Amino acid sequence: MKHYLYFEATALLYILTFVTFIFFFAGVFVTISLWRRGKAKSLYHSVSTPAIIKAFIVNVVLQLQIIKFSFIRWVMHFCIFIGFMGLLALTAWEAFLADILPASSALVRLFFNNGGRLILDVWGEVFGTMLLAGLIIALLRRYVFRVAQLDTILKDTVSIVLLLIISVSGFIAEAFRLMAIPGSPDLIYSFVGLLFAKVFAAAGIPMLNYKLFVWLHGLAAMLFIALIPFSKMWHAFASPIEIILDASEKQGKHEEEVAAAHYSVSRS
Amino acid sequence: MENEVKIDQETPVREVKVENLSMRQLLELDACTRCGECSNWCPAYEQDKREPINPRGRAYDFRRLIRRQYGLLRPDGFLGKLFGKKPITEAEIKRIAADLYECSTCRQCHFVCPVSIDTVELWEAIRRSFVEAGYGPLDSQKDLVTSVKSYDNPWRQPRSSRARWTRVAKKKKRIKEEPKDLGKNKAEVIYFVGCTGSYDVNVEEVAINTVNILEHSQTDFGILGNKEKCCGSVLLRMGDRESFETIAQENIKQFNELGIKTLVTSCSGCFKTIKEDYAKVGGMNFDIKHTAEYLVELIKSGKLELKHEVKMKVTYHDPCHLGRHSGVYDAPRELLRSIPGIEFVEMERSREFSRCCGAGGGLKAGYPDIQNKISQQRISDAIATGATELVSACPFCYQGLQVGIQAMNAPITMRDITELVYRSLTGKTEQERPAAEGEAEAE
Repeated sequence: MKHYLYFEATALLYILTFVTFIFFFAGVFVTISLWRRGKAKSLYHSVSTPAIIKAFIVNVVLQLQIIKFSFIRWVMHFCIFIGFMGLLALTAWEAFLADILPASSALVRLFFNNGGRLILDVWGEVFGTMLLAGLIIALLRRYVFRVAQLDTILKDTVSIVLLLIISVSGFIAEAFRLMAIPGSPDLIYSFVGLLFAKVFAAAGIPMLNYKLFVWLHGLAAMLFIALIPFSKMWHAFASPIEIILDASEKQGKHEEEVAAAHYSVSRS
Repeated sequence: MENEVKIDQETPVREVKVENLSMRQLLELDACTRCGECSNWCPAYEQDKREPINPRGRAYDFRRLIRRQYGLLRPDGFLGKLFGKKPITEAEIKRIAADLYECSTCRQCHFVCPVSIDTVELWEAIRRSFVEAGYGPLDSQKDLVTSVKSYDNPWRQPRSSRARWTRVAKKKKRIKEEPKDLGKNKAEVIYFVGCTGSYDVNVEEVAINTVNILEHSQTDFGILGNKEKCCGSVLLRMGDRESFETIAQENIKQFNELGIKTLVTSCSGCFKTIKEDYAKVGGMNFDIKHTAEYLVELIKSGKLELKHEVKMKVTYHDPCHLGRHSGVYDAPRELLRSIPGIEFVEMERSREFSRCCGAGGGLKAGYPDIQNKISQQRISDAIATGATELVSACPFCYQGLQVGIQAMNAPITMRDITELVYRSLTGKTEQERPAAEGEAEAE
C-alpha cells in the first residue's frame, strides 16, 4: 500500500470528519424542522410507485427533462451531479473498506493491496473528470458568457468554487503521487492524473508533497459537506424528492380521473 | 407604478406564517436550483425584467424571509446576534408582497421547471400567508375580493341582476327561451355561466351562444339564474383561502342537491376552480366539463351537426386555466377542426407552452399596464400566423386579449369558440339570428 503512496487517514482527519457530520446533520435537522412547520396537506392523490421509479430514473438520474431546453445544460448538470455522486460513493466505499471492514478481509485486500485498487483509480478518474468537465461548463456559462437566464448570487459562487477546489486539488494530488512513482505499470489507470503529471513535468513544476493537496482536497470536501444543508447544494436532496412527488401526484390524479370517468360512464 | 412600496422602517413587522404551506411546498423552496429556465418563459418577467418577479426570485425572496423568521440566523437568535443579522423590514415585506402579486398564475413556470415545482399552488399558499399577515392582496386588487364577498361576483353588480342577460336576450330574440331555472326545475345538465359571462355585456354572447347550442342539441339543461354565485376563483388566486373555502362549500352543497349529472361551464377559470380546487374542499356527485369538451361529446353522439361552412383562418389561444391547469388541450382543437371551412393554424407557442394573456391571478387588476403588454405580445403571436380570427374558450381571456387588440388596433378579431360552433350549426351569426328568424316568421 505504501508503495503507491496512498493517503493514510490520521486521527485529525477522523476528528474533522466527525465535526463535518455534526454540522451536516445539524443543518439537515434545522432544515427539516422548518419544513415540518408546514401544516397544509402535501399530497392529494394515491402514491404511484411505478411513476416514482420512472421519474427517479428518467428525471433524477438521467435528467432528460433538461435536454429539451438545452443540450449543453444537460451535459453540464449531468456531469456535475453524476461526477459528484460517483466521487461521494468512492469516498464512502473507501471509508467502508478502511474503517468498517477488518484489514484482513478479502475485500480490503482486494481493493487496497491487489488489482481492486486499479478499479478505485479508474473510478476516481472517470467521476472526477465528469465533475471537472461539468464545472468548467458552469464557469463558462456563468462568468464568461454570462448567460442571460442566470442570476449569480454568493451561494452559486461558493458552491462552484468549493467543487472546483475539490476537483482540481484531487487531480493535482494524484499527479504528484504519480510523479513520485515514475515507471509504474499502473500509472495509466490514473489517466487524468497522469496527464496533469506530464503537464507539470513539461512546465518544470517541481514535485510537491502530494499530501498537502490531499489535505486541501479533504478540507474543501469537508467544508462542502458541512455546508450542504445551508447552501445551494441542498437542492441535490430536495429536488429529487420534489421530482418524484410531482410524478406520483400526476399519475395518481390521472388514475383517479380514469376511474371517475369509468364510473360516470357506467352511471349513465 | 400602481403598487409602489412606501419605505417605513419604523412600522413593526408582522409574522408571515408558514403554517399555510405544506411540508412539500416548503421543500419546494429548497428544491429550486436557480437555473433560471422560468425566467425565459414567465410572461410577467418578459415585460418587467426584475429578478424578484420571476419565479426563481419569488421563491428566493420568500425562502429568505422565512429563514429570517425561523432559521438559525434569525436576528433574535444567538447566532443571528453573533453575526449581526438585521431583522427584515416592513418595506422589504411589502416589496416581496408586491412582487408576489405581479404574476398571472399561468403555470408556465411549472411546465418548464426541471424540478417540476408546483409553482402556482406555492404562490397561492404564500399569498394566503401574506393575506393573513395583512400584507395582501394589493390595494388595487382588494375591490375584487370585497365584491365577491359582498355581491357574490367580482364586478360589484347586484345579485338580482345576475340573470338579467337571459331576460334581455329573450326580449331581443337572441335566445328562444330563457333557460330553465334549476332553482325550480330539474335538469340533467347545469350550465354554470360564471360572473364574466353573466355581467359583462361585451362577452355575454359567450353565454348566449352556449345556451343556443345547448338548446339546439336538445340538451336537458338549466341555469341557476340569480342563485348562481361566483366560483370563488378570485378569492383563491388572491390568497383569501378561508373565504374561498366558504363559497366553495356553499356551491358544492347547492350543486350536489340539484341532482344533475353534469356541470358545464364556458369559463376556463370557473372550470379549473370547480374541477381542480373544489375537489380539495369537498366531494361532488356530478361530472364537470368545459363547454368545448361537452360540445365534442355532443358532436360524437350525433346530437350536434356542424354542417355550415365557416370560411375563416383561425388560431387558438389556450386559456391557462383550461390548458396548463386542467390539461384540456385537444377538445377545443377537435371542435375547431370539426367545423367545415375553417383553416386552423397553431401559434408558435401553443398547448403547454402557450403564452398567457395576462388577465388571470389578479394581474389585470394589480398591474394593468403589464397585463396590457402581455396581451399585446400574445396578439402578436396570433397575427404572426396569418390568421384573421383569434379564438379562445374563456370569457376572461376574451376580455384580456381584447385589451391587446384594441391597444394595437390589430387586424385580428377576437372570437369565443362557441360563436364559431353556433355559426356552423345554423349558418348565421348569433347577431343575425333575430332578423333572420323574424323574416322567417313573417314569411
